[in-house]
Amino acid sequence: MSPSLKLPSSSGGQHDPAKEDRLDLTTMPPVIGMSAVGVGQIRKPSWGVSLPTQYSLIGVLLIAPAVLIFALVIAYPLAEAIYLSFFSIYTPTLQGEWVGLANYRAMLSTREFWAALGTNIVWTIGTLVLQVVIGVAIALLLNLNFYFRSLARSLILFPYFVSTVVAVLVWRWMFNDSYGILNRALVVSGLSDMPLDWLGAMPNAMISIILVGAWKYFPFVVIAVLARLQTIPEELYEAARIDGANVWSRFWDVTLPQLREVLIVIVLLRTIWDFKEFDLIYLLTGGGPIAATQTLPLLVYKQAFGMNAMGMASTYAIGIMVVLVTFMVLYLQRTRRGSELQ
Amino acid sequence: MARAVGITLRKLRKQYGPVVAVNDLDLEIAAGEFVSLLGPSGCGKTTTLRMLAGLDFPTSGTISFGERVVNDLAPAKRDVAMVFQSYALYPHMTVGENIAYPLKKRGVPKAELPARVGAVARLLQLEPFLSRKPRHLSGGQQQRVALGRALVRDPEIFLLDEPLSNLDAKLRAHMRTELIELHRKIGKTMVYVTHDQLEAMTMSSRIAVMRGGDLQQFATPIEIYQRPANTFVADFIGTPAMTLLDADLRAQDGHGEVMFGPVSIPLPDNLVNQRRGGTPVKLGIRPEDVLIAENDGFPGTVKVIEPTGHENIVLFSLHNHNITGRVPAQVHLEVGQPVRISFRSARLHLFDRETGLRLS
Amino acid sequence: MTRSNIWTKPLVSLVVWLIVLIVVFPLIWMVLTSVKPQSELFRIPATFWPTRITFEHYQTLLNETLFLKYLRNSIILSTSTTLLVIVVAVLGAFSLTRFAYRGRERIALLVLTTYLLPSVVLVLPLYLMMVRVGIANSLFSLVVAYTTFALPYALWLLRSFMSSMPEELEWAALVDGASRLGAFFDVILPQAIPGIISTALFTFIVTWNEYFYALILVNTDEARPLTTGVITMLVTSFNIEWSLLMAAAVAMSLPLIIIFVFLQGYLVKGFATAGVKG
Repeated sequence: MSPSLKLPSSSGGQHDPAKEDRLDLTTMPPVIGMSAVGVGQIRKPSWGVSLPTQYSLIGVLLIAPAVLIFALVIAYPLAEAIYLSFFSIYTPTLQGEWVGLANYRAMLSTREFWAALGTNIVWTIGTLVLQVVIGVAIALLLNLNFYFRSLARSLILFPYFVSTVVAVLVWRWMFNDSYGILNRALVVSGLSDMPLDWLGAMPNAMISIILVGAWKYFPFVVIAVLARLQTIPEELYEAARIDGANVWSRFWDVTLPQLREVLIVIVLLRTIWDFKEFDLIYLLTGGGPIAATQTLPLLVYKQAFGMNAMGMASTYAIGIMVVLVTFMVLYLQRTRRGSELQ
Repeated sequence: MARAVGITLRKLRKQYGPVVAVNDLDLEIAAGEFVSLLGPSGCGKTTTLRMLAGLDFPTSGTISFGERVVNDLAPAKRDVAMVFQSYALYPHMTVGENIAYPLKKRGVPKAELPARVGAVARLLQLEPFLSRKPRHLSGGQQQRVALGRALVRDPEIFLLDEPLSNLDAKLRAHMRTELIELHRKIGKTMVYVTHDQLEAMTMSSRIAVMRGGDLQQFATPIEIYQRPANTFVADFIGTPAMTLLDADLRAQDGHGEVMFGPVSIPLPDNLVNQRRGGTPVKLGIRPEDVLIAENDGFPGTVKVIEPTGHENIVLFSLHNHNITGRVPAQVHLEVGQPVRISFRSARLHLFDRETGLRLS
Repeated sequence: MTRSNIWTKPLVSLVVWLIVLIVVFPLIWMVLTSVKPQSELFRIPATFWPTRITFEHYQTLLNETLFLKYLRNSIILSTSTTLLVIVVAVLGAFSLTRFAYRGRERIALLVLTTYLLPSVVLVLPLYLMMVRVGIANSLFSLVVAYTTFALPYALWLLRSFMSSMPEELEWAALVDGASRLGAFFDVILPQAIPGIISTALFTFIVTWNEYFYALILVNTDEARPLTTGVITMLVTSFNIEWSLLMAAAVAMSLPLIIIFVFLQGYLVKGFATAGVKG
C-alpha cells in the first residue's frame, strides 16, 4: 500500500495490489477527500471493460454466425446478382462480357417482359383475392363451435404444408383430360358433354393455376386470421347485439376493424410471395399454353436455362425485385396513412 | 459466515435519452441496516435496485459495497441475493433444485447440498415441498422458496423487489413480521423496494423516499413521519393522509399564526422563526392532531364518516376546507352535525407553498 | 351467436366438415389412387372407391425407381439444414432479445427484409458461387442454399418466442451466480424448448418441400432430393404412370403426416404466434 497516499474509501478506490504502487492520475482526486468520480464519469477497472460492454460483446458474438451466413449467402449473392445483370453470360460455359445497361434496355423493350408482367399481375391479384376471401370465410367458420373442431383446424392446414410438387401431381392428375376425376365428374353429371382442357387452353389455364394457388395458400390466411379472431373479446359482440346489430353488421363493424392489422400484413406477405411464385406455375403449366401463363419468375428461368442467357436472366430477376420493393414501399405508405387517419 | 457490508451510492444516475430515471442519487446504507426504497411507480426505486444487483447499468456514478466499487462486477460476483416480485422461480426445476441452484453455481460440492438446502427448507417450513415444481405451490409458498434461494447462499446483501405485493392482505401482514424476524436473526444489509408505506414504516431502520428519480428524504420512520422534509413525503406517508391546505403565515410581535380563510391558528413561538407577515405556506395537519373541542375551537361540520372498527375517519368541513380527522369510535357523530374543531398546534407542519419544502 | 338451439352445433358441424372435406379431397383422392390397382385407374366409367386395395405401386416405387435414393438425400438434406439453422438461430435470437449493442435493431430489420427476397434473384449467383467453390451439384450446396430462406424465418420465429419469455428468470439466474451463457443453458433454453421444437419442425418441412433451388443447383441423381427426383420420374416416363406418381406423392408427404399426427400442436402454435407478426 502506497504509504504517502491513502485514498479514502469514498473515492471509490479498490484495494487492488496491482494498482497500489501506481498513481492512477485519471481518477486521482484533485483534493484528497473529495470524491474521485465526477459527475458523468464511469470508472472502468483498468484491466478490462465495463460490464455493459462485456455483455454487448457477448451479444455480438452470439449473432455473429447468423450475420456471417447472411453476408455470405444473401448479401453477397444479392450484390452479385446486380453485378451479373450488366453482363451477357452464356450459361453452359459461364463465360460472359460486359454489356452495361444493354440488358435492361432489352428487357424494357421486349413485349415478352411486359406480357409476363401483366400475366404476373393477373395471377397475383386473382389468387390473392381468393386466398384472402376464402381464408377469412373459413377462419370465421372455424371460430364457431362444432364437433371435432381442433381436428378440422389441423386438417385445413394440409394444402399449405404439403409440398408444391405433391400438390401439382395431385391436381394434374385431377385435371387429366381423360382420366382425371374432374372431367369425369363433369361428364357424368351432365354439366358438359366434352371434357375440359384445364391446363392446355386459355382462359382455363390461368383460372386453373389461380384456383390451385388459392387452394394451396389460403390456410396461411386462415391461421393468421383465426389467431386474431380468438383474441377479440366477446363483449364487443354482445354490446353490438344489444345495440341491435345483425350478423352482417356485426361482422362489418366489429370483426373487420379488429382484423384490419392482421389483414394488412397478410395481404403484404401473400402478394409478395404469390408474385414471386415459381414452383406452382412451372410445374402445372410450364408457362403455357404458349407463354399465356408465363410469369416473370418463369421468364427468368427461361432466360437462364432456355435461352442460356444468364446475365439477362439476372436482369429480369432484378426487375422482379424492383417491382416488389416498389409495391412494398407504396403499400406500407398507404396503409400507414390509413391507420393514422383511424 | 459472510459479514454484513454497507452500501454507498454516489451520484448514481440512470438516464434513457432525455428521461432521467435516477437523478444523481447519494445514499449511504450502514452495514446490517434494513433500508426501504419507497415511492410511487416510476420513482426510480426498482431501477436503483436493479443497478445494485448488476442487472442494469448506471449512466454515471458509483455503487460501492463496503470498500469495493462494484459498477463493473457481474451480478454473479457481487455476493448479493435478490428476491423478485414475481419470485422468478425456475419452472422446470423442483423446489429443492431451485434452492440448490445458487450453491451449484458457486461450486459447492454435491455432498453438501442436501444439508444446506435442508437447513433453509426447515427454517422456512418448505420441507414437504422440496420435490415439487413451483407451479404446484401457492403464492405464499413460492415466495418462501424465493426467500430460501436467497438465504441459502448467505450473501452480504439482500435485495428485495416488492416481494409481498402479490400476496393477499393477511398473508402480507404475516410475511412482514416474518421478514422483520429474519432480518433480526441474520443481521445482513437489506434493501427493500416497495410502494406500500406501511411495509416501509414497519420494517425499515431507515426509509429512502423517492419521487421521479429524486431522493426526497432519507431518515428513520419516526423522523419521516414526524418531520417530513416536503409536502410529497408528508402526503405519501401516513394513513389516512395528512390534510394539506393553502394558508398564510403571519408573524406579529413575536407571535405567529397561520390562517386559512377566516380560520386563524396561533402557533407556538418555536414554529414561527423570523418570518414577516404574509408568507404563503402549505399547512399540514395529521388526522390524529385534529381534536373535537368542547367549547373553543372552530365551527365545522361533519361531512363523511368512515368507520374502521376501533375508530372513525371523519372528513370535516371547516369554512369550505376539507380536513381529515380521526375520532375514537365511542364518540358518536352524525353526518351534517356541527362540531367544534381544534388542533394540536405544536404538531402542525408548515411547508413553503412554492417549493414544498419544510419550514422550520 | 344469436338464439342457439339444439340444432346449431350439428348444423354448423355439417357445413364446416363438408367444406373441410372438399378442401382435403385432393389429398384423399391421392391416397385412394395410390392404392387402386392399375386397371381401375383407366376404366370407363370411373370408380371412386377402389374395388380392392393394393400396395403394388408402393412396391414398384421402392424397388424399381430411385425413390429410396431421393428419400435418403432428402432426409440428410433436411436434417442437416434444420440442425444448422436451429443452432445459429437460437444463439442469434438469444442475442437479439437479451443483449444490447449498436445495430441490433437494424439487424432485426434486415432479417425481416431478406425473408422477402425472391429466390430467383439469389439462385444464379449462388449457383456461380457453388461452382467456384467446387461444391456444385452436391447435397452440401443445397444445405447452403436452403439456409438462405430457412435462417431468416427461424430467427424471426425464435426471436418472437424468446422475447415473450419473462426477463426475471434470467436475472434470477445471474444473481444466483450464473454467467450469461450459464443462465442461457440452465434457464432460458429449457424454457424455450417448445418454441425450438416448433421452429425445427417448420424448418424441416420447409426444406423438405423445397423445389426451385433443388431444380437449379443439382442435376445429378446422386444429390437429388425427393422434390426434383419425383418430378424427374414424371418427366422421364414415357407413359406417365399416375398410380406410381400418386404413391410417390403420398410417400413424399410422410414426414408431414407424421408431424401432423403427433406434433401438430407445436406447428400451429409456432406458426400462429410469429407468422403473423410479419
